[in-house]
Amino acid sequence: MVGPAVAITPFHGNPSGEMRMIEIRVDEEACNGCGLCVKDCPMGVFELRGSVSSPVHPENCMGCLSCHEICPAQALEHRGVVPCRRMYVSMKVCRMLNRVI
Amino acid sequence: MGESFIDETREKFRTDLVFRVEDVPMRCDPPAEELEQTLHGLMQLNGYIIKSLEEIAGRGANAVTYRAGKKFGHEVAKYFEKKDNVEDALRELSYILHGQYTFEPWKPSDRDEYIVEENGSTFIYLVFHDCIVRQSCRRIGQEQGGPLCQTLCGYVVGAVEEITGKRGKLEIIHTGPNACLKKLILK
Ligand code: SF4
Ligand code: SF4
Repeated sequence: MVGPAVAITPFHGNPSGEMRMIEIRVDEEACNGCGLCVKDCPMGVFELRGSVSSPVHPENCMGCLSCHEICPAQALEHRGVVPCRRMYVSMKVCRMLNRVI
Repeated sequence: MGESFIDETREKFRTDLVFRVEDVPMRCDPPAEELEQTLHGLMQLNGYIIKSLEEIAGRGANAVTYRAGKKFGHEVAKYFEKKDNVEDALRELSYILHGQYTFEPWKPSDRDEYIVEENGSTFIYLVFHDCIVRQSCRRIGQEQGGPLCQTLCGYVVGAVEEITGKRGKLEIIHTGPNACLKKLILK
């Protein structure tokens, strides 16, 4: 289960002045408290509180998604992140995977 | 028995097309969706060239790729208008990088300004969203932040130096799968 929204904050790197919101959620049941996201995030967004990660400074998140890549429990969810174009994805492989799935 | 490979191939490449020197192509052919193989071929080739360069030249690979990027940046930006103002220069830079890289200024929440003047130099953090270098690294499973990333650093520095007339430096602060943070310093 994805836990309640812990924080909603403006994305600071927006030169147009328009507020873009990044919302970070931690699935508290999935998080195993390994602290990898705390160590890996360059912006110090997370802190371990008890045995779960908590996004204490979401206002500094720049949407790199390093934490997603490193979290072994897939416990994180970011909303409002700009997705970069994924030109490296091979559609041939994706079509094959889709058939298997 | 079917046709030989040579006959088949020769037939495939036969056209009645008349090509005149004055013909100017008005579109990129083939359409984008058919370019996937071309793009991936280029990304892989680029990735393996850099990987091999790193294996042979070690840390010297960074200097080579940085220089290549810088030359490219100077070359591309030399036709652009010269700007003194950093914000105007960044706007110009985003035109230059369009279609290959997209970026936006970033600052930590405890700071008021994006552009910071410090000890006679000016710096600004940039978050790079789209990046063909990151895509190429991921295409061949190469780590980010290595010599391939130095091509982007050189490219940006070359272009910015050309636009502003100042000396520049681009430091990689963090690399991620979806965005990377860089610090642009102008002296
Ligand atoms: S996306 Fe990047 S900046 Fe944002 S919380 Fe994750 S690691 Fe930190
Ligand atoms: S990396 Fe994932 S599992 Fe580990 S503390 Fe962070 S959210 Fe929890």
